[in-house]
Amino acid sequence: MSLLGMFWNQTVCLLQHFRGRKNRCYSLAVRAVRRAFVYASKARKAKRRSMRQLWIQRVAAASREQHMKYPALIHNLLKCSVALNRRVLCDLSITEPRSFQSLTALAHARRTEGLRAALGDGAEPPGVFSRITQLQ
Amino acid sequence: MTLSLRNILLRAAGARLSLNTEKRCVVPALKRFQSSSSIIYPASFLCCPSYVPQTSLSRPPWPELPAFDAEEEERRHRAVVQKVNGLIEEGAYGRLFAVVHFASRQWKVTDEDLILIENHIDAACGDRIRMEKVLLVGGSDFTLVGKPLLSRDLVQVHATVIEKTESWPMVHMRFWKRHRFQKKRIIIQPQTVLRINTIEVSPKLF
Repeated sequence: MSLLGMFWNQTVCLLQHFRGRKNRCYSLAVRAVRRAFVYASKARKAKRRSMRQLWIQRVAAASREQHMKYPALIHNLLKCSVALNRRVLCDLSITEPRSFQSLTALAHARRTEGLRAALGDGAEPPGVFSRITQLQ
Repeated sequence: MTLSLRNILLRAAGARLSLNTEKRCVVPALKRFQSSSSIIYPASFLCCPSYVPQTSLSRPPWPELPAFDAEEEERRHRAVVQKVNGLIEEGAYGRLFAVVHFASRQWKVTDEDLILIENHIDAACGDRIRMEKVLLVGGSDFTLVGKPLLSRDLVQVHATVIEKTESWPMVHMRFWKRHRFQKKRIIIQPQTVLRINTIEVSPKLF
């Protein structure tokens, strides 16, 4: 078996759709196939990143429909120890809107609870001169 | 035993609000926004004497929270729990979906679903598997959210191993131009195909 024959036998299914002489001439084809492999390897890593970005965008959009922001939703779900990841939250927001609404309601309730706990009775600490306008 | 409130949609807020606040000798901030009769206001202000003109400092920067009644919240939570209990006892649900943690990934799964898992599982083809880490179960009328997992007695998700194959040969290539650096490796991942048979919720919630 010649090296040339081996090359064409193995790669003809990959480079048939390439443009120009890259699909016919050996030297150009070798370089094109190498670049294709390298691009595919890099893209497999980048795909994971872009998928996560997409999920985050979708969850943010869905939570804004429910009058809630994405960071608040994620942080409060974490505080409620609900361990759903972004991919599943994205799927729920698309296919199970009621469940997603209930999750946003849960996060919202936890958030108000946290705010209420932080405010206490609404008094300011002693010795603080407040800048809030007062009518006397 | 009825279902503890942790596994229901809205969180029971009553227990957390019994905080120990220190005694403060200062008048609460909201009380300072009271008007006095010595200041002359335009006619529109006379109808509501506690009016403060809106500026960036006229109210505190945190939002005004609605009034909170612990008993009412408790009553609402109990009503929701009762309703969901009733639906589950009657079996008044159709197709259930579940979010299952399996093979370090989370899958949103229903009956008759096929799942492709990119690794090897220690089970022969045709074996019945029970997935125990269930994070969420829902139907058309209710959802049960686990914190973080639902109990084993509550939900049962059964699956069968259908196929154990390998993936197509993926080429992992690294190349730096003008450095005579080139590496090529062929990766073949083992794969398993599972079919989800049933998702069951037990008739009495604990």
